[in-house]
Amino acid sequence: MSNIDLTLQIWRQKNSDALGKLETYTLDKISTDMSFLEMLDVLNEKLTMEGIEPVAFDHDCREGICGMCGAVINGVAHGPEKETTLCQLHMRHFKTGDVLVIEPFRSRAFPIKKDLVVDRSAFDKIIQAGGYVSVNTGGTPDGNAIPISSHIAELAMDAAACIGCGACVASCPNGAAMLFTSAKISQLCLLPQGHAERKKRALSMVETMDKEGFGNCTNLRECEAVCPKSISIRNIARLNREFVRAAFSEG
Amino acid sequence: MIHQFETVIIGSGGAGLYAALEASKNSNTAVLSKLYPIRSHTGAAQGGISAALGNVEEDKPEWHAFDTVKGGDYLVDQKAASILAEEAIQAVYDLENRGLPFNRTPEGRIDQRRFGGHTRNFGEGPVRRACYAADRTGHMILQTLYQQCIKNEVSFFDEFQVVDLILEGTKCSGVVVVELATGKLHIFSAKAVLFATGGFGRMFKITSNAYANSGDGPAVCARRGIPLEDMEFFQFHPTGIKGLGILISEAVRGEGGILRNRDGERFMEEYSPTLLDLAPRDIVARSMLTEVRNGMGIRGDRQIDDYLHLDATHLGKDTLMKKLPDISEFCKTYLGIDPADDPIPVLPTAHYAMGGIPTDEHGRVILDNKGTIVDGLYAAGECACVSVHGANRLGTNSLLDLVVFGRRAGKHIAQYAKGADGVKVDESAADEARQWIEQITDGSEGPHGGHITDEMQTTMMEKVGIYRNEKEMQEAVDEIQDLRNRYRDVRVQDTSSTFNTDLLEIIELGNLLDLSLLTAASALDRKESRGAHSREDYPERDDDNFLKHSLAYLEEDTVRLDYKDVDTSIWEPKPRTY
Repeated sequence: MSNIDLTLQIWRQKNSDALGKLETYTLDKISTDMSFLEMLDVLNEKLTMEGIEPVAFDHDCREGICGMCGAVINGVAHGPEKETTLCQLHMRHFKTGDVLVIEPFRSRAFPIKKDLVVDRSAFDKIIQAGGYVSVNTGGTPDGNAIPISSHIAELAMDAAACIGCGACVASCPNGAAMLFTSAKISQLCLLPQGHAERKKRALSMVETMDKEGFGNCTNLRECEAVCPKSISIRNIARLNREFVRAAFSEG
Repeated sequence: MIHQFETVIIGSGGAGLYAALEASKNSNTAVLSKLYPIRSHTGAAQGGISAALGNVEEDKPEWHAFDTVKGGDYLVDQKAASILAEEAIQAVYDLENRGLPFNRTPEGRIDQRRFGGHTRNFGEGPVRRACYAADRTGHMILQTLYQQCIKNEVSFFDEFQVVDLILEGTKCSGVVVVELATGKLHIFSAKAVLFATGGFGRMFKITSNAYANSGDGPAVCARRGIPLEDMEFFQFHPTGIKGLGILISEAVRGEGGILRNRDGERFMEEYSPTLLDLAPRDIVARSMLTEVRNGMGIRGDRQIDDYLHLDATHLGKDTLMKKLPDISEFCKTYLGIDPADDPIPVLPTAHYAMGGIPTDEHGRVILDNKGTIVDGLYAAGECACVSVHGANRLGTNSLLDLVVFGRRAGKHIAQYAKGADGVKVDESAADEARQWIEQITDGSEGPHGGHITDEMQTTMMEKVGIYRNEKEMQEAVDEIQDLRNRYRDVRVQDTSSTFNTDLLEIIELGNLLDLSLLTAASALDRKESRGAHSREDYPERDDDNFLKHSLAYLEEDTVRLDYKDVDTSIWEPKPRTY
């Protein structure tokens, strides 16, 4: 274990209407065993003691599953390590003298609520538009269960691994939510349970995505690079097929 | 500000969402959560959900119910356990029908795997009963239920923290909550209120629980005169990552992982010759601590933070990547090791509260040992005590508890809310909460809440942990009382009103202190060892005096204990060996 000294430039913004700016803080003797969020806890304790308002940031489980945390570190959503959320980023990846620029997940569809906390409720609206199964498809041949090949189940599961953190949107120059939306659509259109509503789902979720102010995919693959759950852009291809099929067919 | 709903649900994990899904079919329903719905801790459950589908080998609900009763060291209410096991099957099919991607057998059926304490034919040997979606089962359940609630147009109020319960005699008429974004108080009036606030592992130093798991529902109920049941039973999961407490799923042992001491010995052969590493969690956790105390930990220094090895190297990279992908990544992320090459350093971590708000099998809250119902008040999930977990919960029964009893409570609410009279609540219902919030935000100088949190967690871990005795638990009660006194002077130091995280932490600390006191006092009063409660001064189970549920009442600054009978109508209590 060793200790490092850091300079932090953190985006401070009082509320959605206020103007924000980067403030500089220094932190000494940060243990390299700490996680990034523990480092922010230490900073907040120091700020509170100095009478400065602590930095607001989202977090909860701190084990990479809840999807609450997230910030852009030196230009990269969730920081420099691959396939991890911010809470899983450890300070051993940094060294004394590093300057860390810490910003919220910026996008037109994600208004900043305070400091590093953004409003991601636009994602909920996309799910509301059709990200569910409403037809009960249970029945023969296996009692209530539906036989599904393990290959299809695996693909659906990989898509369903999405935790809705929003890193894909923050990293996309177009502010697209295609990776998120395609993960939700893929999970359901791959499984027979989701077949009944696939056309309506594709049309309505894509429409909501546009309406919420998200951009479109131009195959830059920035989203795939930062996704903590390694969701593949193949899902976006599947979304496009679903959308085209729904748009050009009747019924 | 007063909001009117027919049903209000506090908490948006598995139990809350399932209840909301059912209640919303027949009543105007709101879900309040201090988090966003899909962020709840149900999402972290890795291993699986048990149901006797019999897809890969013969299995019966009756065997599952028996395992649950025996696993709970006979402190389980047996009729409730039978309901759990029987309704499990439909619950799994319902989730599947709604799009949950379970792992599959080569024939396309839902695959099942082994988990601790689940056996065939009343204890003959391990059975494959846990349905799973890789090691993300909880995440998948949460997503699926959330999608269904959205479809049913449930109103979500995110980032609202409950602070008080509105009771008139034995009738509930709503809750008082703080909106975290603004710091403002709101009243939600409702015919039916359901608490589904989850666990309270944050009272311990080393825990697998998230920061939000501060037992808000049970604490609010306790301060309003509702007893908490079986608080002395807190499960320590055997395999937390050393130093962090983050969980390594029991599924690793289900797939063949082995616990080893410093000599590389498979020490579970000594403690549980039949089930070995898949013995129930209380037994494995105690065995591990015994090894550590005997100097057989990896360091061998007999210190409480010494650890053991969970060896999965013989499973091979392929199995690990396919069946336990998240575990492999956890090890790489937190420890910098690959479990295919190196053993995982583990030690027990505070994991699950078997006790909580006492309820009947419809989720209705019970006020005393005569079975008096609080009209319109419900609880489900980890914060509730039905009791299906007794003195020790079996792995995969927690997700099952959420869906089975969340669903049952929701169905009952749907009926109740239609029939019940409307409730009238005015602004004065929030007076007590308002005074208290004004006091802690009055800007005066006070002690730092964080230090009290630290001391509470250390005291609980060291003195009310895996092994317990009279002297240490008495010290714990005194220390927690002292901390509760100091807590009265704690003030919010962050003066902003928007997203004041300091205010939230102080509210949570108050809840954890009250629950710590109730836990320590209940543990002190139970002079026997049963399930997760192991006393060095009373090492045997004592059915003559303690085959009963505890009910702990918080009365001002003291705890009053009462007891109620256990339902043993199906299986007679026997010694518990594996």
